Amino acid sequence: MPSTATSQQMPAKGSIKLKRGGKVQKDYTAYIMIAPFLLAFFAFGFYPLVNTFYLSVTNATLMKKTYDFNGIDNYLSVLRDKFFFQSILNTWKIWMMNFIPQVGIAMLLAVWMTNSRLKIRLIGFWRAIFYLPNLLMPTTVAVFFSSLFSIYSPVNTLLVGQLHVFSAAVDFKINEPFMQGLAAYIQWWMWFGNTLIILIAGMSSISESLYEAAMVDGANTATIFRKITLPILRPVLVYTLITSLVGGMQMFDIPYLLTDGRGSPNGALSTLMVLLYRKFQSSKGPIGIASTVGVFIFIITGIVAVIVFYLLRDKDAIAMRKDRKRYAKQRANKAKGGAAR
Amino acid sequence: MSNHVKGNTSEDFRNRASLATARVAVYVILIFITLLCVVPIWVMFVNATRNTNQINAGVSLLPGGYLGRNLQFLLDKGLNIWKGLFNSAIISLSTTILSVYFALMTAYAIEVYDFKLKEFMKGFIYILVLIPTHTSIIGFYQYVAKLDLLNNYIPLILPAIGAAGSVFFAKQYLESAIIMDLIYTARIDGCGEFGIFHRVMMPIAKPGMFTMAIFAFVASWNNFFTPTMLITNTEMYTLPLMVKTLRGDTYRQELGAIYFGYAMSIFPVIFGYALMARQIVNGLALGSVKE
Repeated sequence: MPSTATSQQMPAKGSIKLKRGGKVQKDYTAYIMIAPFLLAFFAFGFYPLVNTFYLSVTNATLMKKTYDFNGIDNYLSVLRDKFFFQSILNTWKIWMMNFIPQVGIAMLLAVWMTNSRLKIRLIGFWRAIFYLPNLLMPTTVAVFFSSLFSIYSPVNTLLVGQLHVFSAAVDFKINEPFMQGLAAYIQWWMWFGNTLIILIAGMSSISESLYEAAMVDGANTATIFRKITLPILRPVLVYTLITSLVGGMQMFDIPYLLTDGRGSPNGALSTLMVLLYRKFQSSKGPIGIASTVGVFIFIITGIVAVIVFYLLRDKDAIAMRKDRKRYAKQRANKAKGGAAR
Repeated sequence: MSNHVKGNTSEDFRNRASLATARVAVYVILIFITLLCVVPIWVMFVNATRNTNQINAGVSLLPGGYLGRNLQFLLDKGLNIWKGLFNSAIISLSTTILSVYFALMTAYAIEVYDFKLKEFMKGFIYILVLIPTHTSIIGFYQYVAKLDLLNNYIPLILPAIGAAGSVFFAKQYLESAIIMDLIYTARIDGCGEFGIFHRVMMPIAKPGMFTMAIFAFVASWNNFFTPTMLITNTEMYTLPLMVKTLRGDTYRQELGAIYFGYAMSIFPVIFGYALMARQIVNGLALGSVKE
């Protein structure tokens, strides 16, 4: 049994408390190693967040150096702003119009591409092509699509001059539903490949024998998908949903650059971040109010993320863990009782 | 009996036929989506080589001959795209180096050592990844302004040390890449703890570091929001800021030049991706899926 002998000599992973030079314990090394990260995080991540919350209860502007506490005035003024509710609505609308097709199409493609009977070839090639838009600069993508759909644009010359679909150039930029749809489409275009890769990775970790067993038992494709694929993919799907939600609530580059930067037409592209930026840019630079918008985005995202986690928690696993705990307790009690007797 | 066999074969044949149909349908859809992904990018690059008249005359998939002229126009109008490339490269490279090095070190410490904050740090990283960082931009801006660091690259670069996303990835990666026995052996050989990290761990973790570097670089290269807030000096503009100025009135009449600027901003990433697509896609799958 040479292997056990060595493993006894070697300290197990995670219990390295060998003294070095007789004095220095190695945990100090751990603290030194995580210190730069923690310091940078507190300086550039945590402090700005606290500062934002703090500014949100002051009347701070960019124009003057001093500012005073003004309680919930900013919050009331943001809540009274009808653009605020419009922006919440727009953000959700554009995000949902992008996310639902994104997961749906990525799921469909992933199922096809991993199907052992279809045997689709060149998976690596398709994956690589579909992922490409995700790496492109969102700024460029937004201004490019914006120029594609302007009145003297390639799309108009194509539709009117080359294909004769329309008799006159169409001004897409004043059509509110179209522009929201376009923003959602661009987001979809940039992100479905990312979701696809994550789903394929999740699906290819599912053992083929599970599917075979289900097929022998006479399960059809839909049942197999519902009873095997989806439950195993649950953590991956929750991850995708949460990261997309956090990103979607902060959507800025594309709606901001698709039109004039003020959420035109008619505020249809004014997302929450666009609203925040416009408050920041407006005369006198009321950073107190802009911070309040930031706090609202933070709170909305947080609440929704918690709700999503709660709704999509793995009930079976939780029940199983509870059962196991109860069982362990019973056994412990029995053992104690036995010892007492 | 013979009927039964016949029925079976025809069913089998039908199954195989329907499978073939399904396969063709899937390929058609895949090709369609490929076109959706590629054609817009192709049109952008083609338009970068054409002049305004050609572009107004219609969409073409074949390049024209005005590439050099379009570049010259941008430079003549004072949009120094080389400077923008340089600025972006400086920021992205420094960000990448800092975030990869410190994220790997942080993740290594969390994975390898046993210390009081170990479990806390594990949970902490998960939460940090989900924090919507852009919401605190005003707090960040005001504080950077107070430190007199507006129009400075420091606030764009230094936060990379605290990049939670990179630590998250590094942790996922190290869970499977760390070989504890190697660490013990190095320790017995008298190697210091930082020495082990630098000389034993980093060479082993090279593939993971490569993936982290790619994603850190692309994220920084594409970052528009933070520089928009912090940089107003046009000399210091990064590529995304230049792309935004291209929409201004100065360039309205020169469509080819505008498309040239757009194409220029995404060309380096596409070029790099063409060389390393496989590693990048595999790295992405590796970092996001665990358990």
